[in-house]
Amino acid sequence: MNKLAAKYLRPSQIPTKACHGCGIGMIENWLLQAIDELGLKQEDVIFGTGIGCVGRQTFATWGGDNFGATHGRALAVATGLKLAQPDKKYLIVVGDGDAASIGTSHLIHAARRNLGVTVICEDNMGYESTGGQFSPTTPAGYVTNSSPYGMAEPSFDPCDVVKAAGATFVAETTATQWHQTVKIVKKALGNDGFSFVHVRFPCNENFGAYALGTRDTLKNLEWIYEHTQGRKADGSESDFTWETGIKHDASNSRPEFSKIMRDVNARVQAEMAAKRG
Amino acid sequence: MTSTLEVGSGTLVAPWTDWARQTTSGRRLLEAGTYALTEGAIAAGCRVFAGYPITPATDIAEYMSKRLPQVGGYYVQCEDELAGMHACAGASLGGLKAMTATSGPGYTLMHDAYGWAVTNEIPLVVVDAMRVGPISGITGAPGQGEFYVARYCTHGGNFETIVLSPCSVQEAFWLTIDAFNLAERFRTPVTILTDQVVSDMWEDLFVPADSDALDFVVPRTSNLMMPFFPVGSADLDVAPNVIGRGTGVCVSAYTHTEEGYDIEEMEAQWAQTYRLVNKIRHHRAECTRYETLGLEDAEVIAVAYGANARTVKTGVVEARRRGVRAGFVRPITLWPFLDELYAADRHYVVCELNYDGQLVREVMRAAPDKAKVHFMGKSAELHTVAEVVAGLEGVIRTGRVPELPYIWTEVR
Repeated sequence: MNKLAAKYLRPSQIPTKACHGCGIGMIENWLLQAIDELGLKQEDVIFGTGIGCVGRQTFATWGGDNFGATHGRALAVATGLKLAQPDKKYLIVVGDGDAASIGTSHLIHAARRNLGVTVICEDNMGYESTGGQFSPTTPAGYVTNSSPYGMAEPSFDPCDVVKAAGATFVAETTATQWHQTVKIVKKALGNDGFSFVHVRFPCNENFGAYALGTRDTLKNLEWIYEHTQGRKADGSESDFTWETGIKHDASNSRPEFSKIMRDVNARVQAEMAAKRG
Repeated sequence: MTSTLEVGSGTLVAPWTDWARQTTSGRRLLEAGTYALTEGAIAAGCRVFAGYPITPATDIAEYMSKRLPQVGGYYVQCEDELAGMHACAGASLGGLKAMTATSGPGYTLMHDAYGWAVTNEIPLVVVDAMRVGPISGITGAPGQGEFYVARYCTHGGNFETIVLSPCSVQEAFWLTIDAFNLAERFRTPVTILTDQVVSDMWEDLFVPADSDALDFVVPRTSNLMMPFFPVGSADLDVAPNVIGRGTGVCVSAYTHTEEGYDIEEMEAQWAQTYRLVNKIRHHRAECTRYETLGLEDAEVIAVAYGANARTVKTGVVEARRRGVRAGFVRPITLWPFLDELYAADRHYVVCELNYDGQLVREVMRAAPDKAKVHFMGKSAELHTVAEVVAGLEGVIRTGRVPELPYIWTEVR
């Protein structure tokens, strides 16, 4: 176990049941680096997750308090929890199914409310724990086990969705961008409001095998890297490009949800006290 | 916890008979059931309401939005009922007592969160103000279609539930406090299964002056150490888990170990089930609340709950006036089901607001002679006193409920 894992994670829950070459553990290590560089302790951070690869492989790894919500509802749970525990940092680590499909309405409204949590959407571009079906973030045309003729629907970018809904920090990165991801997560955690970090990572067993034709981790990472560059290793253009980096930074520009609620209470109680004389 | 009050020749077994005697200082109001449910929750220490407006529970949301900020609590109007109950579960995990309120269409959406709260032993209260259905049905008419839905309030099996049903505005107030107490003691969500009539009707209501002084309210405590989940144990009064106090607690949707870690082993599944089922089964007496009338000499016993029990009880009194040896049973605790109320070998006439026959099936199971259990199903409207009298007289004279308009008697 590395130094950061020893400091923040639970030895009994490491290693996880993740497949060989899965990006989830690597990204979690980067989250720990960001937490460590910010000087946060285990008891400062509540770790919430959902269902699917990302939920199953990260739940209970964090050494502090953990919750693993029903599918898609981590942000709904966090909305209530934040009212009771407003001073904690919240890392909501979920997959593309949780954030961009079954739980999207909670994502949108958490952004609208400026709920003080940092969502790390670890996106392996499909439902991989159920065997590799397409999700709303699977690139159009790619073959999965439920799009054998190619993903026919258009995909969407969850960053666009949360930005439109009012998120105060939005960024996109990938499993090929270590230092950028750590920097972004640190900024996200510094926002007392709704932060969304979209991190694409490869699934070798399903997306890699069926959409890209290889279970080779490095080849799958290379495919992601090429799409951040818009160019393949041989110099030809890739079929599309992901713009990574900070997409919207309005950190600390408007009040956080639980603060709004506490302010309402203070105003109502002051008015009551004034009436009583 | 349970005390008894003689009402005329009837008996009410519920803790609030004592509470009402103890609590003398307060306000007498003319108010709605939704108001009583709200004030009962506030008196019980509820500080978070998260939900989605729906007739006939909307007024609870509105009252909560006004009252909670006054007492330092939070009203969250969520994007849907899924979010509402999950947010309540989150708030309760954070240490605040929480409640949501809905009607059938929203209650159905809560099954996801209900299972999560059951498995993680999260205390909270859910009000379902039933209306006639299925689905939207008639929004302003009463129904009793969620008797079984409230029992099987989530998928997967392997759990017991606690469900209470009030029949008056005053009882809605006390019963809400009771529901919070049971939720805390049993570490589980409790459903208040009420209906459109109790929710919307206005009646005399006594509300105690100082809700902080109510020593019968079970306060929130916090479990700060392992085991977080006493799997394999049926112990009552285990402090609920808390997130945000640095205990390292883990809660999830998975079958769990005592630490809360996910585990895929038969033995662990068995130990969790033992806990979820037997913490309630082994302490059924702690949940027992009911009202009876005239059982000492009854040959035929009318059974009803909720608002419907009001006209049914009056029907029993009227039948007795006419010389029919009739009795009355009103289960207040719907689940765990009070089999003992139907132990006597008598005729039972079960009046409920659905044509499916739900409560009646459980009475058939519990009663000594299934052939003597009769069904009077009605829908969208309470049974009239005349219908109840006709049903009771018919059973005494002919052994069956006579044909009556709008009343169904077949149970299949």
